[in-house]
Amino acid sequence: MNYASFKEAVAAAAAEHGISDYELYYMEDQSVSISAFKTEIENFSSSVSGGVCFRCIADGKMGYAATELLDEEQAREIVIRAVENARTIENTDPVFLHNAGDSYREASSYEAPLPTAEQMIPFVLDCQRKAQDADSRVSEGTQSQFFAGRTVVRLSNSNGLDLQNVTGFQCGLVEAVLEENGEKYSGYDYRVGDLAQISRKELVAGAVKRAAGTIGAETISTDRYTVVFDPEVMADLLAIFCPVFSADNVQKGLSLLKGKEGEVIAAPGVTLVDDPLYPGCTVQTSFDAEGVAAYTKNVIENGVLNTLLYNLKTAAKEGKKSTGNAYKGSYASNVSIAPYSFYLKPGELSREEVLSKVGKGVYITEINGGHAGANAVTGDFSLQSAGFLIEDGKLGKPVKNFTVADNFFSLLKKIRWIGKDLSFGIPSGFTVFGAPTVAVEDLSVAGK
Amino acid sequence: MPSILSRDTIRQVLQKAVSTGADFAEVYAEHTKSNSMVMIDGKIDSITDNFLSGVGVRVCKGLKSAYASTSDTTLSGLLSCAENAAQAIANGSADRQINLVERIFGDVHPIKIVPGTVANSVKADIIRTAYAAAREYHENISQVQATLLDVDHNILIANSEGLFTEDRQIRTRLMVNAVASKNGENQSGVQSPGRRMGLEMFDTIDPATVGKEAARQAVTMLSAGYCPAGKMMVAIENGFGGVIFHEACGHSLEATSVAKGRSQFAGKLGTQIANPKVSAVDDGTIPGAWGSINIDDEGHPSQRNLLIENGILKSYLIDRLNGKRMGMASTGSARRQNYTYEPTSRMTNTFILNGPDKNEDIIRSMDYGLYCRQMGGGSVNPVTGRFNFAVTEGYLVRNGQICEPVRGASLIGTGSEILMNIDMVGQNLATGQGMCGSVSGSIPTDVGQPLIRVSSITVGGR
Repeated sequence: MNYASFKEAVAAAAAEHGISDYELYYMEDQSVSISAFKTEIENFSSSVSGGVCFRCIADGKMGYAATELLDEEQAREIVIRAVENARTIENTDPVFLHNAGDSYREASSYEAPLPTAEQMIPFVLDCQRKAQDADSRVSEGTQSQFFAGRTVVRLSNSNGLDLQNVTGFQCGLVEAVLEENGEKYSGYDYRVGDLAQISRKELVAGAVKRAAGTIGAETISTDRYTVVFDPEVMADLLAIFCPVFSADNVQKGLSLLKGKEGEVIAAPGVTLVDDPLYPGCTVQTSFDAEGVAAYTKNVIENGVLNTLLYNLKTAAKEGKKSTGNAYKGSYASNVSIAPYSFYLKPGELSREEVLSKVGKGVYITEINGGHAGANAVTGDFSLQSAGFLIEDGKLGKPVKNFTVADNFFSLLKKIRWIGKDLSFGIPSGFTVFGAPTVAVEDLSVAGK
Repeated sequence: MPSILSRDTIRQVLQKAVSTGADFAEVYAEHTKSNSMVMIDGKIDSITDNFLSGVGVRVCKGLKSAYASTSDTTLSGLLSCAENAAQAIANGSADRQINLVERIFGDVHPIKIVPGTVANSVKADIIRTAYAAAREYHENISQVQATLLDVDHNILIANSEGLFTEDRQIRTRLMVNAVASKNGENQSGVQSPGRRMGLEMFDTIDPATVGKEAARQAVTMLSAGYCPAGKMMVAIENGFGGVIFHEACGHSLEATSVAKGRSQFAGKLGTQIANPKVSAVDDGTIPGAWGSINIDDEGHPSQRNLLIENGILKSYLIDRLNGKRMGMASTGSARRQNYTYEPTSRMTNTFILNGPDKNEDIIRSMDYGLYCRQMGGGSVNPVTGRFNFAVTEGYLVRNGQICEPVRGASLIGTGSEILMNIDMVGQNLATGQGMCGSVSGSIPTDVGQPLIRVSSITVGGR
């Protein structure tokens, strides 16, 4: 059955079980991707999936149940399961379903249709050709991909709330594999943007340059260095540690920012912005996963922790208002907390100026193992890295096989220079992380 | 259980899939119930409860493939999905009759207690036992998060060669994350045993022991200093320590990388890639083990694959399509997270076998180095072989004795180099459970090994 009939069937089942406070959250994802290997298309995939989450208040507690199968039986099942789940919950903090009536800012809806295979084929084949031509060391492991996604969210509840949002993005990605003296070197680059507008030449050049840049890399001496993070790497670090700004984690003792609102937690030049409607961003939203109006805020302002990120439940616990950051990773998830376009505000310096101020240090273009070598509960990280030495204020020899280690909270305080070259990563849901080039003093590097 | 879809429906879908001239088509249909219950602050805090339902259609022509998936499992939804895949692979026309014959593979994983048929309160009691044991372990334990996950994964695989088969995979996992705090610092300890079993998993695994062990680790690390950085000799304990082989070697043996020359071990069959003391297998047939499967996600029975014997590379992990590229047969290694992913070669239960060295000799042999008792996860770039993983509980070793604990260490290296550096292999083989993420999604895998010594590796500390 279609979603409209399923909604009616769920409403009937809820009424039958005496449930009057409930919400339905529907998410439909469409995606396409294509990849080329050597000079041919290797794979095409497309996917359409849609799921519904029903959540309801029973005995003053919230229970959830979700399904992808929209039929009569599941409409009854999810109500029964959600009620049983609510009754199992022991946390007695007040729970809420949001009322209609917020004034929502206008999010620019993502109208671009998904590209067809015919449109994507020339893109990836041309990238493969350009890669071969770019450098004689480019070898057969080189791959080009294009992928695009589109997500529709519909949220409606028994308080009369009825909201819809459409987001999406397109991305081209090239991974260049170079071979020299029997050794393989890889580097990738990507561009988020519409198929027709992405420069294939720049994309390919970026990937080949990154792979070529690692040839001849040596290991660095173990020591403490001033470290300059490439924008993409700094954005990765923000992504790894963003759970520390969740009020839920703070209240549960899983973030060290407990009691730190209003205090200095970072260097004076650091401002961290959360913007649900960042201009040009294709995953904008005007409402969060509970239907609360989303708005722009500085989480850190000039080094001071201005606010944590709240949803309705965590805000009520502290007598505050939600910051509109309720989040669901998939339709089936419980409501948690996450930022939107979450970025470190850019400064005035070009990357070259940052390097010149640093004089001597390490420039990091790649970190790996963030899910293991970093811990948001403790703030500690020790991450496999690669990049370049900085000598006399300029990039020097490539370096690899070393780790950079510190604690995120001490890193925030040791940020010395911030570039103006803000760039964003690949979106996930409504969230995308961004940063400019950032120089941090006195980090521990382990190599030889 | 009735079939997810009827043979007749699937026959129509497959015929549509090959209608433009594909030489092979496959349907993968799935019904998966998953449940996770979380306790925090001593109270059940959240329950996630989902029913996943959908179908993926794959078509191949030569070495090309197209994949389309949908959660719309009506006949018209399925036919349009098959049409999408068919149009993307070829533009000819073909009228092929497909006869599906049901095949039943054995099930070596009997389930005594199917988690989805048990009241929530039974699961809550298991979680509470683990939680309480962790909380009561020490006064510095400031928070405990205990989660019980259970998955009931029903799959149906059919293909244009006439295969029609089903499997039901039930898995259970308990995860405890204990946080110890003192003087404004946090340290955490994690334990997460899982089995290809129902709730009878707790007949052999005591939830209290799991909770206590997570807490012990957090408290130990709270009083630890930072690990020194640099190259040193390390000993890596059994169980999840096997993540070193998973990252340093396992991923680079997957046909996903090998078939396209994107692996440091491509073209190395029959040559020495590891120290002669190292032999390793990938074995998806172990009853009750977390990474086990009766059949892989292409409907090929799982098998025990000897990967390395006395340092010599014996086999890769191969799926059907990459096998075609390599001119080699499937090793029963095709896996995927769910119907939205095209399958490719992945690991199941992968471990280094017991070796010739006594465990006590390994520690005694070290003048100075690091003993890694517990590991976190890791990652690898199969092209360059550069890998990393985290040490969640480490100790310095001096003069053959295990000394004070150290925190914040990670180990990095290049697979081909580190495999040669494994110069002592002990005798206490055990496995640990993880979720492995790669191109076909996140899948359950076991890693494992006995205690091993690595003569030299870069330790990231500070």
